[in-house]
Amino acid sequence: MSSPSHSPAAAGHHEPSKFHTFVGLAMILSVITGVEIVLVYLPLAKWFVVSSLVILSAVKFLCVIFIFMHLKWDKLFCTVLFFIGLVLAGGTMWALLKLFGAEAGKPLSATPLGLLLF
Amino acid sequence: MSSHAAAGAIDHHHDPTTSTGIPHKKLLWWAFLASDCMFFGTLISTHLVYRINPPPGNHSPTQVFNIELTSFSTFILLMSSLLMALAVNAIQRGNIRSTRTMLLGTVVFGAIFLGCQVYEFEHFVHAQKMTISNSLFGSTFYTLTGTHGTHVAVGVLLLGLIYIRSFKPASGFTGGEMLKTFAHLLVFCVFAGVFFIEIVPGGIQLVLESVPLATFFAQNAKWLGLFAASCVGLWWFARSSARELDFGERNAIDVEAIGLYWHFVDIVWIIIFTAVYLLEYI
Repeated sequence: MSSPSHSPAAAGHHEPSKFHTFVGLAMILSVITGVEIVLVYLPLAKWFVVSSLVILSAVKFLCVIFIFMHLKWDKLFCTVLFFIGLVLAGGTMWALLKLFGAEAGKPLSATPLGLLLF
Repeated sequence: MSSHAAAGAIDHHHDPTTSTGIPHKKLLWWAFLASDCMFFGTLISTHLVYRINPPPGNHSPTQVFNIELTSFSTFILLMSSLLMALAVNAIQRGNIRSTRTMLLGTVVFGAIFLGCQVYEFEHFVHAQKMTISNSLFGSTFYTLTGTHGTHVAVGVLLLGLIYIRSFKPASGFTGGEMLKTFAHLLVFCVFAGVFFIEIVPGGIQLVLESVPLATFFAQNAKWLGLFAASCVGLWWFARSSARELDFGERNAIDVEAIGLYWHFVDIVWIIIFTAVYLLEYI
């Protein structure tokens, strides 16, 4: 119950420490964030920068959920449950961006009527 | 989890006493986080939809944003995730002292992130004249980042609750102990609140706007005093805690559950940082 009785040295049945895994991952995430910031200032093709940012963000996202959030060590059902929400959210985003990104989906803001509306 | 504790070894990832093999608390949190994904998905989509077709009168994001400050707060939030993961790691190994240190570290980093957001919002409203109602960009931006900030604030409160829970005496709560716990919670709230509402924004102003140090101390004297008093209070409560505690390795699931929420807040920011901030600079 008390803190002294739970000292790591006192018990041998604890699961192995993930200290180095977590610190290593935090360093990797920091480096990726730094790369993302530098990327937007480099004179590179827009499609390349956008693709790189999306991929780097996805890598950071997956690293956090699988390692920091322990999905890697938990039952598969936790992953399935979370990805149901994630896929629904991603699908909603994709559908909305497709709908409003289409030519016919543009708002009337460029017209005098649109100016009145906004 | 009590049956595990009785058996001696605790498996922190599986629980054979439940039908799914997953501790109920963990399953509940994952279900909640899945639903929160959809919540943030719609907020991010709304912001992006209006950025694709901006109406007239919108502010120019690159002229409003301070990417250096946002990058700093992103780094702080990532590091808070590391401290949270280390807190979970420590409690799973039964190390209560380290758990408390890591929890307080996470609170401090979370409060720094919130302080950056307080400064950012204040700067946008007063210096950049962008309010929640004078442009559509302001409306979607404040709604999205404000909702995320509220999640972070709730996370800081949850971390505070579990930190104070770690001092619960094994003998249970008597009247005096209950009162002491409430006082502990109050001191914690003063500590976190004063830090992120006054001290951090004042410190950022000191660095970014080259405010003289004497002016900073003069303007924030009472807040610095209150903050110092709350630090002393937290130290005193930690020193005067009971020797026998009703907190240990079997409570790892409680710390882990709050950790899941905290990491979720971090991954949402990973998306917001790219979609709302970085993409504007291309």
